[in-house]
Amino acid sequence: MNGNAGHEAESMQTREPCLVKVQLFEGPLDLLLHLIKKNEVDIYDIPIAAITEQYIEYLEFMKDLDLQVVGEYLVIAAELSLIKSRMLLPKPVIEEDETDPRAELVRRLIEYQKYKDAASDLIERPILGRDVFKRDFDGSEALVEEEVELVPVSLWALIETFREFYNRRSHLWTEDIVYKVESVTLEEKIHEIMTRLRQRHTLKFTEFLDDCSSRFDLVLTFLAILELARSENIRITQEAHAGDIIISHHTGENELGAY
Amino acid sequence: MEPTDIRKAIEAVIFISDQPVTVDKLMQVFTELERADIKRHLKELIEEWAGYGRGFRLEEVAGGYQFRTDPVHADFIASFNKKVRKFRLSRAALEVIAIIAYKQPVTKVEVESIRGVDSSGVINALLERRILEIKGRKEVIGKPFLYGTTEEFLEVFGLKSLNDLPTLKEIDDISKNLDPGISQTPEALAE
Repeated sequence: MNGNAGHEAESMQTREPCLVKVQLFEGPLDLLLHLIKKNEVDIYDIPIAAITEQYIEYLEFMKDLDLQVVGEYLVIAAELSLIKSRMLLPKPVIEEDETDPRAELVRRLIEYQKYKDAASDLIERPILGRDVFKRDFDGSEALVEEEVELVPVSLWALIETFREFYNRRSHLWTEDIVYKVESVTLEEKIHEIMTRLRQRHTLKFTEFLDDCSSRFDLVLTFLAILELARSENIRITQEAHAGDIIISHHTGENELGAY
Repeated sequence: MEPTDIRKAIEAVIFISDQPVTVDKLMQVFTELERADIKRHLKELIEEWAGYGRGFRLEEVAGGYQFRTDPVHADFIASFNKKVRKFRLSRAALEVIAIIAYKQPVTKVEVESIRGVDSSGVINALLERRILEIKGRKEVIGKPFLYGTTEEFLEVFGLKSLNDLPTLKEIDDISKNLDPGISQTPEALAE
């Protein structure tokens, strides 16, 4: 992966900023539900052609970001195309029992939405270890079980999160604003990040990005984090299974100089 | 022993335990008491502690009884003990938990067909955290594992039992806009 990282970074710079608003989806059904909601269409009367087009646009966008478009997304894309072609077929005889080609997909979407809602209800509950605490929680084996597994972050996960933010924010910043007031240097940014980490020890990657006030600031923050990771002043990990990216203060010795 | 003394003893036993204490367990300790007596004492204890308006209270969770802090103090507890704030579940994990909680016992394939994505990693992680467990095997080709939720799941989400899960919401508002030309209910659509 390191081999083509340089090449990819280069193409990232030269590529036009894409204005599609990116959100990370749990899967193809999640993406479809999002498109239905965004277009404010009736789930029982999905305009298949339009939704299919937007769906495929998103897949193209994922490809542009060099994200792996997993098979599951392609399966639904094929299904959408099939439904679309079925809807286009002329119907010489209208039969009573003829089912809508969209019916099965709609059933699946509704089923999925039901459990998505149930999941949001669950997380609203007073959660043990988050909202409520029991006795002897500290030091008990329960604590070990609660520990989130942290895995080494892949460069792509980092870039993906960054791009997601970048694109989400890009509509806020118009091109013709000249950042004259931006006098913050990379070094100052690095110190700012280290100061925050000394206070809190660990912070989410997105928390740093969230606080950025401009495109310049965002890019500077990203570069500062990369530099700090390179010089081993911070450690970047990710919660297992595509969880949050966590930046933590590296307390060990670092040969490349501490900030 | 006076009834109030017994109540205090029950309270003391619950106080020292880090697991929810079940009525069965209490019956082993307080052998002279009937199940109904113990339940009555527990009910009174819950009311008493709630009435005091303290920083913690007695609650019925996961088929037992447990002292838990009031959620309003979560931030103070977290800053008192940094290690304590470890609870995190991804959206994917929550979806899997929701599906398995409501449909159990259920196979991985059934979970994946609802979510539309591979869920092996998430299921394995939740098995390790003992939120889920294997309940058996399904008598179909390949005999896949059947998954279900654990007592720990109930404890983490503060549920008395699985019956305490809120009923699944039907998407009524969308159903009302239903085109009568297609079908009347989501169930009918499935047929």
